[in-house]
Amino acid sequence: MTNLLSIVLWLPLIGATLLLFIPKESEVAAKAGALIFSIATFLLSLLILPGFELHTPGFQLVERHAWIPSWGVSYALGVDGISLWLVLLTTLLTPVVVLSQWNAVHKQVKGYMIAMLVLEFGMIGAFLAMDLLLFYVFFELMLIPMYLIIGVWGGANRIYAAIKFFIFTIAGSLLMLLAIIYLVFLNYHQTMVPTFFITDLYALTIPARTQAILFFAFALAFAIKVPLFPLHTWLPDAHVEAPTGGSIILAGVLLKLGTYGFLRFVLPFFPDSSARFAPLLGILATIGIVYGALVAWVQPDMKKLVAYSSVSHLGFCVLGIFAMTQSSIEGSVLQMVNHGLSTGALFLLVGVIYDRRHTRLMADFGGIARTMPLFTVFFVIAVLSSIGLPGLNGFIGEFLILSGSFKTMPVLTTISASGVILAALYLLWLVQRVFWGPITKEENRNISDIAWNEIAAVVPLVILMVWIGIHPGTFLDRMQPSVQQLLATVRNDRDPSKVFTTEFHLHHPGAALIRGQRPAAAPGVSR
Amino acid sequence: MTLHPLIEPYWINAILPELILACAGMLLILLDAFSPRMRGAFAPLAIVVFIATGYSEFLVHEGTFFGGTYQLSGITRLFDFAFLLAALLASMFAREYLMQQNIDGGEFYALLMWGTIGMMMMAKGLDLLIIILGLETLSVCIFVLVGFNRRLPVSNEASLKYFLMGAFATGFILYGTALFYGASGSTSLRGMTDYFATVDGASNPLLTVAFIMLMAGMGFKLALAPFHGWAPDVYQGAPTPVAAWLSVAPKIATIVALFRIFGAMYPVAQQLHWMQIVAVLSVLSMVLGNFVAIAQRDLKRMLAYSGIAHVGYMMIAVRVVREDAVAAILTYGLTYALMNIGAFGVISLIQKNQNDPQTLDDVAGLGWRRPFYGAALAVCMFSLAGLPPTAGFISKFYVFKVAIDAGAVKLAVIGILTSIVSTYYYLRVVYYLYMKEADELTPMTADGPFATGALIIAVIGILLIGIHPTPLFQSALDAAGALFHTH
Repeated sequence: MTNLLSIVLWLPLIGATLLLFIPKESEVAAKAGALIFSIATFLLSLLILPGFELHTPGFQLVERHAWIPSWGVSYALGVDGISLWLVLLTTLLTPVVVLSQWNAVHKQVKGYMIAMLVLEFGMIGAFLAMDLLLFYVFFELMLIPMYLIIGVWGGANRIYAAIKFFIFTIAGSLLMLLAIIYLVFLNYHQTMVPTFFITDLYALTIPARTQAILFFAFALAFAIKVPLFPLHTWLPDAHVEAPTGGSIILAGVLLKLGTYGFLRFVLPFFPDSSARFAPLLGILATIGIVYGALVAWVQPDMKKLVAYSSVSHLGFCVLGIFAMTQSSIEGSVLQMVNHGLSTGALFLLVGVIYDRRHTRLMADFGGIARTMPLFTVFFVIAVLSSIGLPGLNGFIGEFLILSGSFKTMPVLTTISASGVILAALYLLWLVQRVFWGPITKEENRNISDIAWNEIAAVVPLVILMVWIGIHPGTFLDRMQPSVQQLLATVRNDRDPSKVFTTEFHLHHPGAALIRGQRPAAAPGVSR
Repeated sequence: MTLHPLIEPYWINAILPELILACAGMLLILLDAFSPRMRGAFAPLAIVVFIATGYSEFLVHEGTFFGGTYQLSGITRLFDFAFLLAALLASMFAREYLMQQNIDGGEFYALLMWGTIGMMMMAKGLDLLIIILGLETLSVCIFVLVGFNRRLPVSNEASLKYFLMGAFATGFILYGTALFYGASGSTSLRGMTDYFATVDGASNPLLTVAFIMLMAGMGFKLALAPFHGWAPDVYQGAPTPVAAWLSVAPKIATIVALFRIFGAMYPVAQQLHWMQIVAVLSVLSMVLGNFVAIAQRDLKRMLAYSGIAHVGYMMIAVRVVREDAVAAILTYGLTYALMNIGAFGVISLIQKNQNDPQTLDDVAGLGWRRPFYGAALAVCMFSLAGLPPTAGFISKFYVFKVAIDAGAVKLAVIGILTSIVSTYYYLRVVYYLYMKEADELTPMTADGPFATGALIIAVIGILLIGIHPTPLFQSALDAAGALFHTH
């Protein structure tokens, strides 16, 4: 199939369009339709893997057609080692959401399912786009369904949260839009070819001052999305008010667009500025890690706790990106996937008990391991994955990030490492208060255990947590060449007088250990 | 000055669309007088006339006519389509509305047609006098249309307000034109082009005075801050389909005329920094329009202020007198016609009592109870806010792109910042549509197949331009240059 990526991209939108014609009353048909289309999308997206060449660093399965020729805008899709797993994460989480929310949505079911599929369309498009304007279109397209999901199906304070989410995100992305136009204009001036094609723009050299301004315009948009301290304030509101499905997608995929944006655009477009301001971004990430963890610690509400833990965990991803070493970036990309799996699972499971008890306060629970044994098993696995227990996925990601970042940012990495310990503290304390001990509340004596659809939703996530934890090579091997090329782009573009005087270690002993016997040194990257 | 014979061989061909509209309008008035029972068929008839006029655009010859005062080219054809589209959508929304308000009549559609003639003249005129003649034809039609609900005091008030201020504005334009004539010895744009190409602008301070007068008058027609004061009151008082049409079509026509005039004056305008005046007006409109719109709960007043802001965005492109700016304005104009008339159209369907304003509360819960109308209004709002994949995004993007390509980065930055502000009040409408529970739904009394059809056109148009703008861009870019040719 030569246009596999297009099929994967458009299938959810086709599904959403078809759902429009289902009568409003037949809720099961809407749910079944959404499930069929999201599963079909997932299965088709798996077909990307056999066609994906292991040692090719650049974009693969590329499709390119002219879209607005007079501006040099094209409909260009492609996948590389960085976006591959994020696309698959997106296509996996959507059916997971549909399945887990089977009985949890009570009003406007059809509208909810349509919004989910449109959202999936936007997310896949943003990860696949190889054209800057196309990326921007998808980047903004996601806002509308997410705004509706929070605002219509959310909790008590949903309007405030939805508008805050929207205004924050759009403020950042509109400034980025201006920077995009300016970037393309600069390129046009140097080459006399109008183009929005990403790899064409990688070759552009930008004067330092301009580069700094453009860097901040892009970085602001992505930092809001991640979210990076101090721009994170929309996130707890959005998460707490969003319905469970919205939270899973928000944490699982939408936040990754921020970190993905740093990797795909900020680093290769503005290598000088990225190096110049890397300490700043690193400091903000470190503050986010520690601050997010400390705030999560004192939350009485489980969902808020998981939301703040996201601020902390995404901080690791940003730290790894701006440490700019092979293993730290690989760790970052892997950690994005990990966070999608483990935090997605945590939000899902918090949603499960919320549906049964209509409260998320830890004080209202205690000892429910006795009444919900199976649920407890899944929850504890998700928690252990989130705190980075060796053998599960979180450990690999955090270890790669920390060991890679230590080379270039030793102080920040040391401080950040405390985030790992804090995560263990607040998450295990949550488990302690909610699941163990005697049952203190009568209502908790007969909660029904996790249901079939929720099990079916969470099992794939657990399988992947173990897979990544035991055999990360499946994932790391495919991202390694792309990350290597990214670093090469960043370094070659850079003004030689200002080259970051750091070794870009390919075979950090720890990293090599994790990868097993794979040859660590790769051709084309020399010091 | 050479005198050309006024009747040239192809003159009928040159004004064929205008002739069709003029005759059809008279026919409608006669029909209304002699067989009032046919009133129900007037709107379909008007729709047929607008479509036929659109077709006749392909039969006319390109070139200049009437002694070099009237120019037909690919770009004027495209702008004619925009005017016809606006009139078409407005008359589709008007049918049920007028019947429900009990003010149905042939003269309504006739006035829309004659107003469209005025706009066509403004877009095609190569002589300031022709442009002013078109402007006045248009204004007279607007005076009557705004007060069309003659039993309603608020409609009369709106009409009088527009009339008094419009008369002042015309006065300013005429003064400005007289001063230009005094300096250059010609009212034709060709003569002015020749004059401005050679004159030293600094030698004649009256030129700047003339320009300011012209801009003040045109600014009034555009509802450009600080000449915008009339817009909210007039939109609120006018019958809603009229407000829909009035908020879009005259603005596009005025901007086309401004492009022509600026093109003729360009050397001196550059020398004396006149475009800085345009830039200041643009910034004022964007800032004032967007911030004041936040405070509005009345939907028509909100759209009035949003319209002020949108003219501000369009002026960013006008400030850059270039060919791609013309293409940007054409795209923006068409888009604005679709999304603004679509939004006004949905509002026109909602009416409790004749005197009641339509507020945000009136659309509460509409999205779930009337899914099509709710979704259509939501699409219009997202497009007005400039979100992809709607036409509003493509248009705004084009304007900002033109601005940055021409070095007007500051204007683009202000445009972007005010856009962020604007998303708040557009989103608030969506919030009311889908997230606000209403005790009872305000009845939609004026809905019908024509309104539905108009909304389908608007929504499809918005999405089509948003997703596949290339054909529009290509035809606009190919034709745009002709707008600056005065020969």
